[in-house]
Amino acid sequence: MKHEIEVRQMVKSFGKKSALNGVDFHVQKGEIFGFLGPSGSGKTTMVKILTSQLQHTSGSVQVFGTDVSKLRDSSQLKRIGILTDNSGLYDRLTVYENLELFCKLYDVDVKRIDEVLEEVNLIQDKKTVVSKLSKGMKQRVTLVRALLHKPELLFLDEPTSALDPTNKQQIHASLRKLNESGTTIFLSTHDMQEAEYLCQRLAFLDHGKIVELDNPHNLRSKYGDSTINLVLRNGSRIQIKQNENGAQSIAQYITNGELMSIHSNEPTLGEIFIQLTGRSLQ
Amino acid sequence: MTFSIRRVSAIVRKDVKDLIKNAYAILITIFLPLGLAAMLSRSGSDDASLLGTPINLALVITGAFVQATIMAEEKEKNTLRALLLSPATRMEIMLGKSFLSSLITILVVIGSIFISKMQVPGLFYFTIMILLSLIIFISFGTIIGLVSRTVMETSIVGLPLLVIFTYGSLISTMLDNAVVSTIITYLPTESFSSALIILEQNGGFSEIKWHLLNMLIWAISSLIIAVIVYGKSRFDK
Ligand SMILES: Nc1ncnc2c1ncn2[C@@H]1O[C@H](COP(=O)(O)OP(=O)(O)O)[C@@H](O)[C@H]1O
Ligand SMILES: [Mg+2]
Repeated sequence: MKHEIEVRQMVKSFGKKSALNGVDFHVQKGEIFGFLGPSGSGKTTMVKILTSQLQHTSGSVQVFGTDVSKLRDSSQLKRIGILTDNSGLYDRLTVYENLELFCKLYDVDVKRIDEVLEEVNLIQDKKTVVSKLSKGMKQRVTLVRALLHKPELLFLDEPTSALDPTNKQQIHASLRKLNESGTTIFLSTHDMQEAEYLCQRLAFLDHGKIVELDNPHNLRSKYGDSTINLVLRNGSRIQIKQNENGAQSIAQYITNGELMSIHSNEPTLGEIFIQLTGRSLQ
Repeated sequence: MTFSIRRVSAIVRKDVKDLIKNAYAILITIFLPLGLAAMLSRSGSDDASLLGTPINLALVITGAFVQATIMAEEKEKNTLRALLLSPATRMEIMLGKSFLSSLITILVVIGSIFISKMQVPGLFYFTIMILLSLIIFISFGTIIGLVSRTVMETSIVGLPLLVIFTYGSLISTMLDNAVVSTIITYLPTESFSSALIILEQNGGFSEIKWHLLNMLIWAISSLIIAVIVYGKSRFDK
């Protein structure tokens, strides 16, 4: 079966400087694929290439099984939704008026507006003029605009960077819902919790190269040291290896009633990123 | 190639709503030509060739300037990209985004004629020339708007153009340079003024055909350039 996105040996240079340097990956239909990397690693460049806003220098980029340049046709553009950091809104118009225009352009019933505004907690601001909205609210409106037409494939470039935790959670929930209803999502982010919560598969991007690609579970077990952390009633913390000796000492602590908590030592995605690249995600 | 009137009209309706909330920004470009027409009517002259000045001003200032402002704002606020990435075709967007400024310009031209109380000579050819000029200056406006990075910049980019096109004949007499004068006679605004004079002296098609052809060439070339610049704004470099 053809993948929704297929990128092979892709290079993007700006003059002499290369922003993406031989990138290979594919995105399967129905998944949320994460592109995780720190600022300047090439996330926005990738999203722009995948949405045909920017031309790659060499290699192949296919979306919906054909060359990405085909994405410039109306019929193909209907199938995708895009949110990037340069997605703007009409300041003088209300939230509703902004979305109304795009409903008409995408042939969507305007009734859908209330439905999506409800979902991202903005229904009470339907009649508010966009210039009066906070940055986070604007970000939610542009997100709504990107998914009004229930696209088959949604591109999100750091969609929650301006949001507080509560709204972030709400957006995550609606993205999951959208994904469950069939939308494939390409998500770029530097937020490892976001990646962890949403993504079925993840690529770690560093200096324009994918340094690791797998599902979060495999990544954690691959980079974990398989030790177990214990906290005892007397407050001391102990790290134990998974072997016969370890098993015996854990049994001992439990028998003596000394054990307070027990955790396997799984690294976070952020820690794995540091292990791989020597630098942090922020 | 599909064409959807629904999409075009959605873009137009959005522009109308937007402009109503920002009307003061274009008032000056409307009042300048109308004011000039009012001065003409006071002068009591019935020399219809004078009509060329307020009408050229309406076309250049109202047409090109309103259009440039609308386009530059779409670009500055990053909303043009969202339009270009929607299923709306380039043709639909260009038509939709030119409609309002064209309409305003036509109204200002008609207003100028009424205010100046002058008789329009040769209505048929006059209308054709107005339409050609409209294509030329809306295309200019589009180009200016799209090459400027901000709305502010449109005035800087557009001002020299405005001066050359509206005051071409004045520059020509001032400089008294044969080469410059010849170049200036090829401006569409000069063609328009000259043709108006000929029409007033009861000239017909054979007398104005070179002026019409000149304007037609301007219209086609400016439209082509506008389409190309539009296409480019779809992409980042
Ligand atoms: N238009 C451009 N011209 C030159 N360099 C660019 C351009 N856009 C991005 N870059 C460079 O490409 C690299 C990747 O940028 P970007 O994709 O924006 O990263 P991210 O979105 O992950 O922060 C950066 O080093 C950036 O400076
Ligand atoms: Mg970015």
